[in-house]
Amino acid sequence: MRYRCFYDCLKIDYFQQVTKDPNAHITDQELLDNFYRDHNNYWLGILFQRYTLLLLGIGMKYLKNEEEAKDSVQQIFLKAITELHKYKVEYFKSWLYMVAKNHCLMKIRDRQHMVTTEIKEQMAVAPAEDNSLSQHLEKNRQLELMNESLDELNKEQQLCVTLFYLEKKSYQQITEQTGFNLMQVKSYIQNGKRNLKLILEKKLNNG
Amino acid sequence: MSKDLLNILSNSNKDIDNQKLMDYLSGKLPENEKHEVEVWMTENEFANEAVEGLQEFKGKKDLQKYVDQLNKELNLYIQQKKNRRERKNLKENPWMYLTVFLILVFVIIGYMIIQQLLK
Repeated sequence: MRYRCFYDCLKIDYFQQVTKDPNAHITDQELLDNFYRDHNNYWLGILFQRYTLLLLGIGMKYLKNEEEAKDSVQQIFLKAITELHKYKVEYFKSWLYMVAKNHCLMKIRDRQHMVTTEIKEQMAVAPAEDNSLSQHLEKNRQLELMNESLDELNKEQQLCVTLFYLEKKSYQQITEQTGFNLMQVKSYIQNGKRNLKLILEKKLNNG
Repeated sequence: MSKDLLNILSNSNKDIDNQKLMDYLSGKLPENEKHEVEVWMTENEFANEAVEGLQEFKGKKDLQKYVDQLNKELNLYIQQKKNRRERKNLKENPWMYLTVFLILVFVIIGYMIIQQLLK
């Protein structure tokens, strides 16, 4: 029995072993710069492979079908190669996410013959920097405001945000402790974080 | 604790590698690392949606196989494209290749003549 468990562990490990990226020392931006310098798709090959797993997840999230998800990854690669030859992309990761999401929405639209909301390409902008907030205030004042803002969240959001960010509990631990399901926990954390930012901004503008 | 409170609204910009993500999906990570992946997910919509999708795969142990297969096909496509471009170049510039070939032939003939003369 013991050996069987050990064997099972080995088997899982074998299947889940990720192929190491020999170019891990080269950043995404450097790979993109290399591509723009010589227009050699070799660089894109290295870059795209870093995102295959995430793209597979995006495909599955929207299309809800394993085969379609795999096909969508291939189509997204082809589309991305074509587009990158046409214009310069600044923030590759956000851009790729936008391409993948648009592709999946188009597939759903084709499938259902319904009009779905398009995500505009202009959304591929720099990731929002929240750090600027913290630079504007003294640390004590910030803490005070954050505490006040946290108190203003509704009970569920307050509980989940505290457990997640302050007590560093995982989603699973929070579901066990609170009795909320996984989707609720994730939603309370996301919405709580967003509301916290809004409350804090309001306080800053008023104060 | 106070530091953590201030960190709620800041983005760490830390990326999670595919191995850790795969370990997270197969439930093999300890609690602290699981939390690290989940913080990354809250900061990153791309990652969050991708993980939600990956969790819907029935055979999670096949995920790496799918990734390897997709990467292999991508590399094959890139290689084929490169070969096509090289063939196209050959078709578009036959005179250049012919010129190089003729120069090589003249060099070889010249070398042989010189060798004969020296004998």
